[in-house]
Amino acid sequence: MTRDPGSDGLVPEARLRASGQAAPVAPSGSADMDRRGALRVGLTTAMAVGSVALGFGLRARGTHTKVRTLPSIKDHRADKPSGATDMAIVRGPDPAGNVRRALEALGGMGRFVRRGERVVIKPNIGWNRLPEQAANSNPEVVAEVVRQVVAAGASKVWLTDFSVNTPEQCFVRSGIEKAAKQAGATVIRPDAGAFREVNVSGKLLRTGEVLVPFVDADRVINVPVVKQHGLSGATMALKNWYGVLGGQRVKLHQNIHVSIVDLAAMMKPTLTILDATRILLANGPTGGSLADVKQMDTVAAGTDEVALDAFGATLLGLQPADLGFIVEGMKAGLGTLQWRNLKTVELGG
Amino acid sequence: MDAAGLDCLGRFAVGSGPPVRIVLFVLLALIPPTFIGWKVWQGYRPPAVVPAANPRPSGAEADRALQALFAGDLAGAKVKDKVGLYDEKGLFDYIDGAAPIFIERHFRKLAAAEMVSAEGSDLVCDVYDMADPANSQSIFDKEKSAAAKPVADFPDAISGPMSFVFRSSRYYVKLTAFDGKAEAALPGLAKALKGKMK
Repeated sequence: MTRDPGSDGLVPEARLRASGQAAPVAPSGSADMDRRGALRVGLTTAMAVGSVALGFGLRARGTHTKVRTLPSIKDHRADKPSGATDMAIVRGPDPAGNVRRALEALGGMGRFVRRGERVVIKPNIGWNRLPEQAANSNPEVVAEVVRQVVAAGASKVWLTDFSVNTPEQCFVRSGIEKAAKQAGATVIRPDAGAFREVNVSGKLLRTGEVLVPFVDADRVINVPVVKQHGLSGATMALKNWYGVLGGQRVKLHQNIHVSIVDLAAMMKPTLTILDATRILLANGPTGGSLADVKQMDTVAAGTDEVALDAFGATLLGLQPADLGFIVEGMKAGLGTLQWRNLKTVELGG
Repeated sequence: MDAAGLDCLGRFAVGSGPPVRIVLFVLLALIPPTFIGWKVWQGYRPPAVVPAANPRPSGAEADRALQALFAGDLAGAKVKDKVGLYDEKGLFDYIDGAAPIFIERHFRKLAAAEMVSAEGSDLVCDVYDMADPANSQSIFDKEKSAAAKPVADFPDAISGPMSFVFRSSRYYVKLTAFDGKAEAALPGLAKALKGKMK
């Protein structure tokens, strides 16, 4: 259809608009074209919306399928008796004695472990290092925790960690394997079959291959060491859960603070005993030089991992609020960085 | 209408199937929403910003040079089992959260070995190929502990109890001992390694 302009240069509709008259209804051919155009726009929009919705749907379906079929780690926390102490900080030259006094201040191991329960203890055994190099948890601290759990009547006491260096080197060199075995623990050096896939349901980590004892245990006790860490600033209680997870570590470091909190939120330990007998002030997490180690002769114990990490940060000369995983952990409801506001007992040497 | 049954607008004649233009339009229109949907399904993350690296030596040649450092006489020290090679990804499996400070300084590869000294004591030798002398200087300065002591007659070296650290050429070396005998063997091993780093 062609529409010639008249002598005034206007096409008929424009001439009518200029004269204040309504334009006539468009011929049926033009209406078809408009409807077709509208149909195209509508169809394209619908396809775009549909495709995005389909993408979300498939993504959600994939996640929910795993959530339905994979096991989750149980909540290992024990009920808190009214008026009980939240946190105990003990200083003294005997690492095992510090553990005993800290537990007494909290109400004894019986508050956390009941007769017949299966308990897994998680020290840091990540490194091919001597106890003096302070890259791993102190073997005397770990052994005393084992003795206390055995004395509380646990039916099984497992002790394990997914080492960064080879387990053969780390478990022996750290002195932890020998000390823990002598104290009554079953020490598990992880191999390829030691893991089970579970839900993590975190912001970053949705699922993970976790060491089997942490899936099966009734109670979980975290025994981290305090040390500086090149990427996260520090590694203490919250970061120690990296050692329950198998697979390549590179993926955990892409957003380290969120990953740390994802794993800590998954685990919910019964008790945490923070080892600051010796702390690594620089070149962590590997360390090596004794020049980077400081003797602190301190053990802190409690149920609030964020508070314990906040206290540990002060030993390293750091501000707790400057450590991303502590802030994220507090936001996630895992505890408080205001550890002084808790019911805390401090005992000197 | 031509012989293929198409009119001048490229449409099929009535009754001969869907118009080609509509089919093409639908196919083209599906591309962007399919791409968006696929990205949503995958869980889109913006690509990480990676700093541009300095030119690096060719892989195989540099690997051979790195491994050759452990061959021959090393002041009586010998590799116990084998020399492990770690690239950027593998570095996290060896030093965990310490890896990024190496990677951001253009780390190329690590050769690590447990060794036994001439007197039979265990020690660990980690040689980081930082691809360029400036990078090895940078990581040496970064990791230099305030409490460690400089070593006389050995530029760019520090020692602490149970440890000897130095840089030479594009290499950054960390030696770790586990007893007094191994600690005493570290300076000799360091000199032997440095002699090979031309």
